[in-house]
Amino acid sequence: MGPNPDMMYFWLALWCYLGATVAACIYAGVRRPAVRGVVFALTLVGFLANTVALVIRSIASGHPPVTGLFEYMTLFAWAIVLGFLLLWRRKGLDLIAVFGATAGAFALAMASLFPSEINQQLIPALQSYWLWIHVSLAVLAEAAFTVAFVASVMYLIGQGRDFRGMPDGRKLDTVTYRAIGVGFPLFTIGALFAGAIWAQKAWGSPWSWDPKETTSLIVWFIYAIYLHARFVRGWSGSGVAWLSVLGYAMTIFTILGSKILGGLHSYGV
Amino acid sequence: MIRWLTSMRTAVGLLIAMTALAVLGVLIGQQLPPEVYVERFGHVLGTFIFRAGLANIFRTWYFVALAGLLTLSTVVCSLRRIAKLGASPKHRLRSLGSLITHLSIALIAAGGIWTAAGGLRYAAPRYMEAGDIMDVPEGGFSIRVDAARTEFSDEGQLSEYLSEVTVLEDGVEVRQHRIEVNEPLVHNGIGVYQFQMLPAAKSVREALLGVVIPADDAAPLHLEVPAALYERVPVLDTGISVEVLEFLSDFTYDIETRTAGLASPRHDNPAVFVQVWEDGQLAGEQWVFIGAAGHETEGMPCRLFFLDYIPDFDRGLTRFEFTRQPGTPLLFFGFAALSLGLCLVFWTRKAPPDPA
Repeated sequence: MGPNPDMMYFWLALWCYLGATVAACIYAGVRRPAVRGVVFALTLVGFLANTVALVIRSIASGHPPVTGLFEYMTLFAWAIVLGFLLLWRRKGLDLIAVFGATAGAFALAMASLFPSEINQQLIPALQSYWLWIHVSLAVLAEAAFTVAFVASVMYLIGQGRDFRGMPDGRKLDTVTYRAIGVGFPLFTIGALFAGAIWAQKAWGSPWSWDPKETTSLIVWFIYAIYLHARFVRGWSGSGVAWLSVLGYAMTIFTILGSKILGGLHSYGV
Repeated sequence: MIRWLTSMRTAVGLLIAMTALAVLGVLIGQQLPPEVYVERFGHVLGTFIFRAGLANIFRTWYFVALAGLLTLSTVVCSLRRIAKLGASPKHRLRSLGSLITHLSIALIAAGGIWTAAGGLRYAAPRYMEAGDIMDVPEGGFSIRVDAARTEFSDEGQLSEYLSEVTVLEDGVEVRQHRIEVNEPLVHNGIGVYQFQMLPAAKSVREALLGVVIPADDAAPLHLEVPAALYERVPVLDTGISVEVLEFLSDFTYDIETRTAGLASPRHDNPAVFVQVWEDGQLAGEQWVFIGAAGHETEGMPCRLFFLDYIPDFDRGLTRFEFTRQPGTPLLFFGFAALSLGLCLVFWTRKAPPDPA
């Protein structure tokens, strides 16, 4: 069997995201519109290559690219960059938007560490339409959490310092809150609700306290705490920014943790 | 007490405490044998983890109590919100969403409690093969296995585990079902799932035999002979042929009755019973085991080895798991309400400002 047809586009996407990251760092220093244009162009080309890679892989495998960590992280990168592209035209947020490719590059670099062989035959447990509902909604939610994480990190970095062009703290706080407001319902529907329905069909119980289920619940708890603090009490500032960072750290642990902790999800992602 | 229950600090404190216990539960691992905890954490800490219930933390009284308090807190908060709901037209959809979200937690908890109190889940005590019948007394029916097999794609990759079954009530066939991994049988409120699947224990698709024929003035001849069950296979043009008559996946021998049998349906000690023929005459027969040479027998023109085999996946053994989850519909309804509530809270437009 020859090399995977999607890999050329995968690497093109990764190199574009890395190039956009370098350009974004330059832009953070010089703040020239031309450099910003280069960041945008590289991010867009990378995003298109990422899209083509996913489409080719789906056609070649005969199923959506949501099985195994290689496919999951590739789709995750795509969703992350999409999330940041939506921020691109928002006034005063360009310094967040330019670093979307950086988050995408991290995700694709992680993907490259896992086996990339195309598997046309899904194992019996994954032969269900719930696979793509459950996983794709979870990926979109986690991409929204990534936007929140980047905004929170920028908030924490910028706090008490005077960085030229750094978005206003209140704006960053709002971006964090809004991104979690997108991700939290998606995570509830996709990761928890759809996951519970599928678990009932496949394993005979909607909830088994499997490590991935439990870590997903922890993610949900952390963001629930964030939202209660932010939404009900109106808290903002570094305390809730740290909660967002903690929630994201747990999100990443949930994605990768099955490789360490095993459990019912260990055959997939 | 009501004030404490409806306090935001209480809710956040309960969420933090449950999060901390859940993290602890994930890090130490759940429902493992006691010796695993001793091996991982040492004798003192490992024994403590097991005795304090941390090995089954999500069923401990303190975790259940925290979950119960959180549920109670959300219910009391919700009841207080109902009174406020009609008061202000501003953000009405969001307020309704918040109310639904909080009440849904109670539905999810109630579903979980219902299943915990009235549910069941157990694995069948034995494997079944085609023709076997097992009673399911909780559902008032019996289940007969018509076929159990593991399927593979043309490339040899695992594609499906299948159990074709017939449901019997009072000995009468009432329905047939093909149980797959994502297609359980649900009958009279009992879910029947495939718990484990094994290839046939007394049948083999093909055995690979090693045949060593001694030569007087030359090195012995080593040959590999693939043989299906009951198929007499000639060994090149030596005049010798071999025939596999029996296969046992986990061989045991009863000394009193002097009969071979199965120790278990697992493939722990596979063996084949082989007859050796020379020039059309039976020269000898013996059991040969994986990884060991057959014993030398007088009159046997060769030594036998059992090198490998392709299991028979078409006449497999299946072991079922039976579940009854009475609270699941309520739990799913709670999840649906939670999803709807969150969408209303976060995805509806803000109401226009109050002109007043």
